[in-house]
Amino acid sequence: MDVALSRNGRIALRALFVLVVLFLYLPIAILLIFSFNNAEVPSFPLSGFTLHWYHQFLTNGDLRGALQTSAIIAAISSVGAVVLGVLASVALTRRRVRGRAAVSALLLSPLVIPYVVFGISLLLLFHTVGIPRSILTVVIGHIVISLPYTILVLVPRLEQIDVSLEEAAYDLGASRLRTFRSITLPLILPAVVSAFLIAFTTSFDEYAVASFVVGTRTTFPIYLYSALRFPNQLPQVIAVAVVVISLSLIVVVAAEVGRRVAERRLGALDSAG
Amino acid sequence: MAAWREFLHSSVYLKLFWKSVQMSLIVSAIIVVLAYPLAYYLALSGTKRKYVLLLVLIAPFLTSYLLRVLAWKVILGDQGVINSFLFWTGLRSADHPISQLLYSRFAVMLVLGYVWLPFVALPIFVSLESLDRRLLEAASDLGASRLQAFRRVTLPLSLPGIMAAFLFVFIPTLGEFVTPSLVGGPSGYMYGNQIVDLFGTGFPDWETGSVLAIFLFGVVTVLTVVFARFLQPRQVTAG
Repeated sequence: MDVALSRNGRIALRALFVLVVLFLYLPIAILLIFSFNNAEVPSFPLSGFTLHWYHQFLTNGDLRGALQTSAIIAAISSVGAVVLGVLASVALTRRRVRGRAAVSALLLSPLVIPYVVFGISLLLLFHTVGIPRSILTVVIGHIVISLPYTILVLVPRLEQIDVSLEEAAYDLGASRLRTFRSITLPLILPAVVSAFLIAFTTSFDEYAVASFVVGTRTTFPIYLYSALRFPNQLPQVIAVAVVVISLSLIVVVAAEVGRRVAERRLGALDSAG
Repeated sequence: MAAWREFLHSSVYLKLFWKSVQMSLIVSAIIVVLAYPLAYYLALSGTKRKYVLLLVLIAPFLTSYLLRVLAWKVILGDQGVINSFLFWTGLRSADHPISQLLYSRFAVMLVLGYVWLPFVALPIFVSLESLDRRLLEAASDLGASRLQAFRRVTLPLSLPGIMAAFLFVFIPTLGEFVTPSLVGGPSGYMYGNQIVDLFGTGFPDWETGSVLAIFLFGVVTVLTVVFARFLQPRQVTAG
């Protein structure tokens, strides 16, 4: 007898799982359908196939500019968050840090601070100090937001690595930097890549904080938000949505597959070493 | 200090805060209850593809938040997918759309639930997966039914996961302003919207806005400290 689930229970839970997955993906499927629908208003009945909306968004300069701005911000802030995340995670796992619990709580606190509060605090801070709002201010905000995610990904990986590998490198005369470069970094590389992807997507999609500190160059989420108020822009926004959601799903799946493959290989290395 | 006194004596802001607390509580409770059986199925049914299925469940959470809200705007509007489908099939006349669908408290709660549901499953899954199956076997050997074993063993042991899941949704939705401003209308207006509006372009009042923000921050901080032992990072880092 299975101790966790009866036969009927298993069938019921499987049915529930399928229903919930349908509920989660149906809205996305609806966007996909209406992105090809030849009508200004997304409603039934469907009125024929068109690629017009995709063509329209590809030729929309404002939209492309916003995508570009977001890509730049996401690239800079994710590199920043990963670098800081690696430094913080190594310190937290390898060094005796005074007040380790407090430091780690502080680093992870952006996870539980409401974005509206954080956004306003940043706005007030920049206002008081006299820093004009620009791409840089958004980047700073996004680094703070993504930093906890990078630490959450990196710390468990660092804890898995056998410290004696690093000690062996010191014993053989490698400097701390050299040890990090040729031992630690290769071993945590899969986690570094995941952390980078998480930070990138977090920044690329972030509206709440950016809305307070954005300068004159609009980011993609801010463009989207304002476009949602103009019904005539809706069809092309739906087309963009389909492209962005598909791309992010592909990245998510690829990252997960890649991480598993890499960790299995490194896992074999770990147990052999 | 005047702004604080005004805040504490004005029933408007505190009422709005209480309304937001209720909305977030209901949303968090419903999706935790809904996600629990899913996590249970993945963690304990012994299915070989549990990580693949978990990824299927969580993937929507990793795509754009705004775009998922957009999808519901398209679905729920007066001329939206649901209503136009009803007109088309003749179930409802075009003069009488179901107009409570969009720009309502219902819309805000539906969309928040939709957005956070995948994420909630994760901490619960992690806590159930680390459960030692031998405990269930022991319970069964000692004559416990599956229900008894669930109530006396599985549920108490997964409580930290449930608490973590609940808090990881309750805390961010409490200060939410993006979803209510897109699908909420006047009746879905939340505390977070009030803060944003006080910093907005109409009649900015940064002082009162800061008081509201600090109050929210204080409540969240207290919650975080009180429940700190459930908010361990491990709760959200599944292997």
